[in-house]
Amino acid sequence: MRAVIIGAGRGGTALLDVFHQIGTIEVVGIFDQNSSAPGLKRAQELNVPIYDRVADLLKSQGLHLVMDVTGDPSMESVLREQLPAGADLVSGQASRLLWTLVQHESTWQTELLHAEKLAGIGSFAAGIAHDMNNPLQLILGLAENLTDETDLDAVHLQAQDIIDAVKRTTAICRDLTSYSRRTSLRQDCLVGVNGKLDEALKIARYAVALQDIDIRKLYQPDVVVKGNPDELLHVFVNLITNAVQAMEHRGTLTLETSAMAGTIQVRVSDTGCGIPRELQSLIFEPFFTTKPPGKGTGLGLYNIKNVIHRMNGSIGVDSHIGRGSTFTLTFHDESGVGESATPS
Amino acid sequence: MSEFKSGFFVGGESTNGRVLIVDDEPDIRKVVRMTLQKAGYDVLEAENGEKAIEVVNSGENRLLLDVIICDIRMPKVNGIEAIAYLRQNYPRVPLIVLTGFPDTDMATSLLRQGVVDYLVKPVEGEKLKASVARAMEQRELAHL
Repeated sequence: MRAVIIGAGRGGTALLDVFHQIGTIEVVGIFDQNSSAPGLKRAQELNVPIYDRVADLLKSQGLHLVMDVTGDPSMESVLREQLPAGADLVSGQASRLLWTLVQHESTWQTELLHAEKLAGIGSFAAGIAHDMNNPLQLILGLAENLTDETDLDAVHLQAQDIIDAVKRTTAICRDLTSYSRRTSLRQDCLVGVNGKLDEALKIARYAVALQDIDIRKLYQPDVVVKGNPDELLHVFVNLITNAVQAMEHRGTLTLETSAMAGTIQVRVSDTGCGIPRELQSLIFEPFFTTKPPGKGTGLGLYNIKNVIHRMNGSIGVDSHIGRGSTFTLTFHDESGVGESATPS
Repeated sequence: MSEFKSGFFVGGESTNGRVLIVDDEPDIRKVVRMTLQKAGYDVLEAENGEKAIEVVNSGENRLLLDVIICDIRMPKVNGIEAIAYLRQNYPRVPLIVLTGFPDTDMATSLLRQGVVDYLVKPVEGEKLKASVARAMEQRELAHL
């Protein structure tokens, strides 16, 4: 279906984002009288043509749908006069209803992402227990010893060990509370990918045992992508966790970043069991899981796909039974936009 | 020391017995060593299951090792694998699990395999010593 969007305010931007995620809809152009409307900037990012005149936009070949989201009552009659044969016009209340649905969909996706993240944190229990209880054992043992320690130097050393152990446990709480918070609504910004992958490794080790995993980092320096840093962290944690689970905690995990010819790629590879060919097209579907009941929500890769699409990127998988899988994320290189990279 | 029981002589010194602590965290090994040495035990250390098997198989340890305290989540040979090996090859050496993760299913399964105790960190020194003393009794009974 070929559609055009008239109006590039909040409604037009939201509609553009949703249409962009649906493979069967092609947005052939967008128009707004205000050249600084936010939707026009988004259109530029998504490579959607921007028109200066409505008449030119309506001349586009084979139009099926004209979406009027200007909220301007006089626009409807203008559009009706010029509406090409075979095209439907959605305006007025119908367009407002559509925008409400789009907003609902967007809120729903954000909630789903958060719910899945919280469900995943349940699997962190073993890792958290390990990382909390080890320093606690040290603190308890040293404190017990201090009750009858007479050597003052030993007392000082052991007190310092206790302080260091307490600091380690607070670092665990800091990592986890920061990860579990609701995804911030801050504007997309340039995110350092290598730093985010390292941060994700720190979080993923609560969910899966990494001690027997050989981790190879093939990072090209200073690779950045435009997106929401919290969402990107969630994507990486999920991909790393899946990879380690596929290897049953033994094997090689390769994290690779590259920037070449205007394209950024991030690859997460494992040497695990691989995904059967007949399942490869299903893994990004909602609620698809091969894990036993209660072990996975089936929303991990579905959410990842949504986040990546919102970033105007794509995700693909190359997998062979018994040899492992590689998930490749591909983005446009937007490092030249002039915004500063976020510290990661 | 009032807790002398078996009274082995190791390196010329009398000890309550020889205990191997297997844990990948040096801090845990340090603090367990501290507690047990004060209670008169001779303490050996291993950082994972693979090293533990090496220690158990080396020299006089085959004969003189009394108790093994073993963590579960460790690199290379983990606790589950090490315990399976030790139960099979050294069924007379009592094993105590000292883990950071309370897992009822795992505890049940390990106790069924003959593990003497399943302790969850942080464990108080008195409780650890009581558990080791109980394991020592089992060891002595096994020698009868």
